[in-house]
Amino acid sequence: MSAATPALVPLRVAAGFVVGVALLAVAPWILDFTPYSHNLVTLAFLLISGAVAWNWMGGFLGQVSFGHAALFGMGGFVSARLLLSGPVPAPLAWLVGGLVAGVFSLGAHPALRLRGPYFSIATIGLGESVRLIFTYWEDFTGGSSGLSLPIDPDMKHQLYWWGLGLAAIVVGMSWLMRHSTFGLQLLAIKADVDAAGDVGVSATFYQDLVFVLSGAVVGVSGGLYASYFSFIEPNDMFGFDRSIAFVLMTVIGGVGTILGPVLGAIVFVLLRQYLLASYPDLYLGLYGTLLIFIILFEPLGLAGLLGRLARLARSWRAPAAEGGTP
Amino acid sequence: MTAPLLSVRALSKSFGGLRALDAVDLELAAGEILGVIGPNGAGKTTLFSLIAGSLQPTSGQVHFEGRPVTGRAAHRLVRGGIVRTHQIVRPFANLTVLENVTVAALHGNRRADVPARYRAPRVLDFVGLADRAGQFPGLLTLAGRKRLELARALATIPRVLLLDEVIAGVNPTEAVALAALVRRIRDELGTSIIMIEHVMPAVMSLSDRVLVLDHGRKIAQGTPAEVVRDPGVIEAYLGTSTEATAP
Repeated sequence: MSAATPALVPLRVAAGFVVGVALLAVAPWILDFTPYSHNLVTLAFLLISGAVAWNWMGGFLGQVSFGHAALFGMGGFVSARLLLSGPVPAPLAWLVGGLVAGVFSLGAHPALRLRGPYFSIATIGLGESVRLIFTYWEDFTGGSSGLSLPIDPDMKHQLYWWGLGLAAIVVGMSWLMRHSTFGLQLLAIKADVDAAGDVGVSATFYQDLVFVLSGAVVGVSGGLYASYFSFIEPNDMFGFDRSIAFVLMTVIGGVGTILGPVLGAIVFVLLRQYLLASYPDLYLGLYGTLLIFIILFEPLGLAGLLGRLARLARSWRAPAAEGGTP
Repeated sequence: MTAPLLSVRALSKSFGGLRALDAVDLELAAGEILGVIGPNGAGKTTLFSLIAGSLQPTSGQVHFEGRPVTGRAAHRLVRGGIVRTHQIVRPFANLTVLENVTVAALHGNRRADVPARYRAPRVLDFVGLADRAGQFPGLLTLAGRKRLELARALATIPRVLLLDEVIAGVNPTEAVALAALVRRIRDELGTSIIMIEHVMPAVMSLSDRVLVLDHGRKIAQGTPAEVVRDPGVIEAYLGTSTEATAP
């Protein structure tokens, strides 16, 4: 630890981040991914982005949403419709999808008068009503037969880097948020909305802002998802399973931490891919069990567990170093 | 006489059929400490909530520096220079002591000349919590948390500070120290203070004037010496003489 005023981004963190992203960026050439693993990693990037963005709301701000599938679906369908409507560049379509989802997330604004679990229950209702509306709005979503996008193998290949880019930006944003006065205010709102107001924090402003940011990122990841899989269907995109997945990933990884949602999303993708193939009936049960264990024994999830191990390693090393230099 | 810094006119609040505060008037001059006393349920905290914007008044007006601020949201009043503390302290448990104060220092009075990140450590120093900066509020004693509550309010550079029982509940030594701190806030920072307090020696020695509430009404106002002799006040606290002499 240096005594000087800490830089906004310490060199060690920045270097680690850049190296990590660079390694992942060249990985497809070096590791010669099979389509299967390419699929898995790209999906992981999209889910990482979504989980990290969910965590801004659920972890930093303390507004646990069970309705984020509405934003994922919104981004997916808006960008798919744009891509089907004519020669729109794909990145523009994703961006517009994200922006629409971001603005759309303000639909949850009235629910802000509810707190804690009541807010969460309201988001279940909002998410489900959005799913039903879009399932029946066949002109827009194609109803239960969904929408098919033209299959473009080049695009599918490139989406690996688009997904990585999105995940990298979002993780970077998460780090900056957590270490800035902006994040400090979000944590204050999480601790006590009224007390935050009493010291001058405009809770509603920050809540709305984080809704929009979180919604936009989840919307963009929905758009990328639509382009990657070339087929989307409202009951899947807006499904409650998907909303739950955002919560599960973040809780398994560690609510309110930076690395947590990343780890959670990776574990989630791996578990799901393996279990869905072998034991399709069992996989939700396993997540449930995992969730119970995490809440009971390590509320900060995998990130908390890693932190604990790191401290343990340090305390092992420290006495050893003292003994080694008599 | 110059115009008062804060003036409250016929402020009332009803919760359904219950009139928690009934047409209360008060004026606070710059640099003054006004004590507010009264039995439990007299409407003291309601009065604070209305002035600080935590609750909307049913009727009446609040003027601050000559401008109407009635019913304005708490976070906007803080920026204008009115801040309150809570009787039951509410630190942000997930933030360190310094971070708690930094959040407050980010907002508050726009005319403040010291940037937020320098202000927070100074305020901690002022209230005597400098050595606790990195700790979490859960590790502080009650008196420590009361100091933190004060520090958080002071970090917004208030012109008017509403203190809701900052002294009550701590041990006698701490009470004396906290009372001295309240006096320093007025004397050294020039902040005008309205304080609700049950600890009579403290409120009587600190206050320039005292306002007495009972059942939501103002029943007396004056210097501490005048108020303690007021028959209405004695009745509100002790009951009428027939009741007092009853077995």
